[in-house]
Amino acid sequence: MSSGGGAGLYLHVPFCSAVCPYCDFAVVPADASRSARYVQALLAELALLGEEELSFDTIYFGGGTPSALSRADLESILDASRRSLAVEEDAWLALEANPEDVDAAALEGWRGLGVNMLSLGVQSFQAGELRFLGRRHSPAEGERAVREALAAGFDIVSADLIFGLPGQEPESLRDSIRRLVELDPQHVSCYQLTVHEGTPFHRRRQQGRLLELGESRQGELFELVHSELAAAGYSAYEVSNFAKTEDARSRHNQKYWDHSSYLGAGLAAHSFSGCRRWWNEPDLERYCSRLERGERPLAGSEELDSSELALEAVMLGLRRSCGLDLERLRADYGIHLLERNAAIIEGYVEDGLAVVDGCLRLTPRGLAVADAVVRSLDLGLV
Amino acid sequence: MEHIRNFCIIAHIDHGKSTLADRLIQACGAVDDRKFRDQILDSMDLERERGITIKSNTVTLEYIAAAGETYQLNLIDTPGHVDFSHEVRRSLMSCEGALLLVDASQGVEAQTVANLYLAMEYELELVPVINKIDLPSADIDRVSEEIDADLGLDPFEAIQCSAKNNIGIDGVLEAIVEKLPPPAGDPEGSLKALVFDAQYDKYRGVVMLVRVQDGVIKKGQSIRLMHTGADHVVEEVGYLKLEKVATGTLKTGSVGYVIAGIKTIQDINIGDTMTETDRPAQEPIPGYREAKPVVYSSIYPMSSEDYSDLTKALDKLKLNDAALAFTKVSSAALGFGFRCGFLGLLHLDIVQERLEREFGMSLLLSAPTVKYDVTLTNGEEVVVDNPSFFPDAGDVERVEEPYIKASIMIPEKFLGSVMELCREQRGEKTQFDYLAVGRVEVTSEMPLAEVLFDFYDRLKTVTRGYGSFDYDALDYRATDIVKVDIMVNKERVDALSQLVHRDKARSRAMHYCDKLSETIPKHQFKIPIQGTIGGTIIARKTINAFRKDVTAKCYGGDITRKRKLLDKQKKGKQKMKMVGSVEIPQEAFIAVLKTEKEK
Repeated sequence: MSSGGGAGLYLHVPFCSAVCPYCDFAVVPADASRSARYVQALLAELALLGEEELSFDTIYFGGGTPSALSRADLESILDASRRSLAVEEDAWLALEANPEDVDAAALEGWRGLGVNMLSLGVQSFQAGELRFLGRRHSPAEGERAVREALAAGFDIVSADLIFGLPGQEPESLRDSIRRLVELDPQHVSCYQLTVHEGTPFHRRRQQGRLLELGESRQGELFELVHSELAAAGYSAYEVSNFAKTEDARSRHNQKYWDHSSYLGAGLAAHSFSGCRRWWNEPDLERYCSRLERGERPLAGSEELDSSELALEAVMLGLRRSCGLDLERLRADYGIHLLERNAAIIEGYVEDGLAVVDGCLRLTPRGLAVADAVVRSLDLGLV
Repeated sequence: MEHIRNFCIIAHIDHGKSTLADRLIQACGAVDDRKFRDQILDSMDLERERGITIKSNTVTLEYIAAAGETYQLNLIDTPGHVDFSHEVRRSLMSCEGALLLVDASQGVEAQTVANLYLAMEYELELVPVINKIDLPSADIDRVSEEIDADLGLDPFEAIQCSAKNNIGIDGVLEAIVEKLPPPAGDPEGSLKALVFDAQYDKYRGVVMLVRVQDGVIKKGQSIRLMHTGADHVVEEVGYLKLEKVATGTLKTGSVGYVIAGIKTIQDINIGDTMTETDRPAQEPIPGYREAKPVVYSSIYPMSSEDYSDLTKALDKLKLNDAALAFTKVSSAALGFGFRCGFLGLLHLDIVQERLEREFGMSLLLSAPTVKYDVTLTNGEEVVVDNPSFFPDAGDVERVEEPYIKASIMIPEKFLGSVMELCREQRGEKTQFDYLAVGRVEVTSEMPLAEVLFDFYDRLKTVTRGYGSFDYDALDYRATDIVKVDIMVNKERVDALSQLVHRDKARSRAMHYCDKLSETIPKHQFKIPIQGTIGGTIIARKTINAFRKDVTAKCYGGDITRKRKLLDKQKKGKQKMKMVGSVEIPQEAFIAVLKTEKEK
């Protein structure tokens, strides 16, 4: 259930064979020499971290496409981490992979590295939707990747789906979900397509060449995701994340949501500890050259005051099925949330958006409007 | 005095009054071409932009007539709109004659007629001027006929010109000299001068615009304002030739300005008579009327922090706008604001626009309302100009509301729909007269409150813009008024409460519910919007809850971004008006009033 007491280490691999038009992560097209230079820089960054009395019990390779790196590269990155940081012996390890990178040898390699959770970017089982998303794999490849990953014996195989595509009908989403749950992975992440600034989709939308799905259809699809997955035995532990059992949850990702410490290494990676958050250079050239000069590649940081921390605690807490711990909110920040917002919260409970049981927990319909709920609550902050 | 002519130009809006004034000023060489700009007498940006005159102004011109003699022409520029009819009256009182300007293609309009009647009331000599004769759509024969039939003036006397293209301007100037009489007055008598308007100058204080009837005004003289009874010493006196030109004296029959150390416009009454302290006149100049507000609305700052700025801005506006009246109010929904009285809707509009433009205020206005006379069951009489203070229905014995006499001029083919419109606006004694072939004047006695809501808009629609409208105040008449409250998510929004005739309550409430449901954004819960009378629901709309508003991904770097966005949104919410748990944007308050304001 909990993310564990330790800290999390996030390792960013920015390369993709092709950059998806909706992606706003720090990614660049893959290229052998760039990739080699980046790995060296990342190793250099890890060597500079000597950091903090933190003890790490989760490691997460994210991207980008970590599966684009060779086993040897991944291994040397892990070794460098262990050299610089107090990484626990049995630290939980996750890795993101693209279906087209999944084959027997790769699976073997990742198993050998001790990967506990393999997260596959399946996205959809509809050929048209995959083309629209700019993905390079077919529905069959996605299915094969999940099947083979499951057979390879990882503790957790997770598959990502994207929904809310322009024009998407509930039937096609239901079909993708059903094909996925039939494969029976332990974990599913279902993300609504978000058009971020700076992405090709965003430019297309501004030019009127990308339609947006209506808000009420989005809500319908969100509810469909939650009901279909619940019916298949997956419980939502966060807005977009579902697991068959508590053990199948992403131990690493949960750290982001309860203000546990995490350290990010690699391009644009974010770190958080105590009340400070800092982040790396998002430009690949500058990231590499700064490390080549022996500098840490920091791009910025922020010191969170208690009202900012409180706002984050509320916003993150309400995204989770375990909810917002009202007692803890009172103890940590002196916020009497229920008392301050009695009428509003009562209204949410009446409307079936929320449940109050020591925690303020949103129902699936409440999760669908979690941002609006946060905005509506008076935290009494200045 | 033989060589003085005091005159004004009266015209319907857009018939070219300011342009003609510009040409007369240029023809007399009062301004060199380098400094000239269009609508030179309209000093406020708002006046220039909207082509309306809000404040009176005057200019003294020197004209050498064809016969070789030099005349002093005092052009008194008057506001043309009905809201400012008290100012029009005072301006007319300072003239002996007027140019009655008619557009060669539009012809005689309601305002032309209304102003003609006013001018006749003050026994002004009139010279009709047909403007825009060079327009392709000009129809001089038809307009001449209208001048004859509608105005009762001799069309053969009419001067034809095009002010825009400087055609026939000499003819206009000669007519002023030839056909308008010089002022009459007693140079030896006690000073009697009409204060027909005043401007506020931040360095000099109040600059009074005066017309000397008898006697003279001299620098250093002690003067008395007869209605206020206050004495002042003349610091400066002179002519306005676009700029102030001090002359030391202002002679009988002249028009000019007086500065006498008066601090604020509130210290004087426009329309007052100036006399000399030592030798006061027996009687003031007759016809003095106080400008009384007829329309009331509450003004609130969009953000409650701006209340003190609003206070300062209104105080500043009041320096130059004697008719603006306001008192502090507070609304449960909108916080502190001011209850303001206006001369009419245009006045309200102008004050709002000046507050927004000149002072950068972001404002919310409540629905304009008239003043009701209410008799309570216990016999007590109260005046209500604010829905919040309307007594409980059970305590009300009788309510009276102000009526106006509307005059609407239209092409004949719209007669049926305009008669119908008057009926819908609760018009009584609706009649029509043929003014000329194909042209009709409809008169109707209707409640002023009806005009405030959507009358202009609807008249414009049913007459496709060809109708013109003017009104005069009549009297107070018994009426059946109810207070309609608007409930948003079961909370009453006091600033949206309004007093409406019982027959109209339902449709008005529905209009509000419709507009609010279109402009209040969806919330995460359903929002019922209801119109009620004394708790009984008469109209209802529902804003459905939205179903989706959550960020899909919230990992490392997303969190800072998300928190900042939420923080910004939460701060933005402070600029929304919260009613219970519903955020009402400014647009919603504006939208419900929309039809009332468009003209």
